[in-house]
Amino acid sequence: MLTIEQNRVEEKIIPLFTETTLDLRFPCGLLGFEQIKNYKLHAFPDIHPFLWLEAQDGDGLCFLVVPPPYVVEAYHIELSDEDVSFLGLNEPEDAVVMNIATFHPDGSITVNLKGPIVHNRHTLVARQVVPKNAATLSIKHPLSN
Amino acid sequence: MLVLSRKINESIVIDGRITINILRVEGEVVKVGVTAPKEIHVLRKEVYDEIQSSNLQAVGASRSALERLLSGKKPALQPVERVVK
Repeated sequence: MLTIEQNRVEEKIIPLFTETTLDLRFPCGLLGFEQIKNYKLHAFPDIHPFLWLEAQDGDGLCFLVVPPPYVVEAYHIELSDEDVSFLGLNEPEDAVVMNIATFHPDGSITVNLKGPIVHNRHTLVARQVVPKNAATLSIKHPLSN
Repeated sequence: MLVLSRKINESIVIDGRITINILRVEGEVVKVGVTAPKEIHVLRKEVYDEIQSSNLQAVGASRSALERLLSGKKPALQPVERVVK
């Protein structure tokens, strides 16, 4: 098991203020979209602190994601040995965590803390994980302005 | 649906690479061990359903939300630690 606490935003890991694109590979896809494996993660300063996760091999599948420090003060996830091995993580610093945001028709925004997206910053292999402490994490955490 | 009867310590093999072992039966609870290659994602179905449903909802709203953000209508979010400390 590997515990990951990402409570600071480090520009060298997530260049939120510079237009950047990372090619992430999800060998298992996202839950419900298993067949779609290649995504681009775009950081556009205009939508900071959100990032745009766009599928490359689906029909326009896309998500807005946000680094957890913008959502909750203390966020930690406990990754299973299977996820650690799958992602090839040697230490917590190898991992980058993002959470999917849902924009509701009433204007509110909630964030999925229960099924975060984790990628290895060196290999860009990614997976939507269910952490071992998922039972304590909200799937609809309200984002306050 | 294929229905198989198994005793404790008996197994089922799926596709030659996934093994499901029946470990224990305690009242209404069955302990199951799953051995699978690491690229096979094994999850409890209710958790899978919850996250899948959240993903579907997020995808449905994402394009219009992006347009809204690009037009300047976005929440002024700061890292929470900076707000708190």
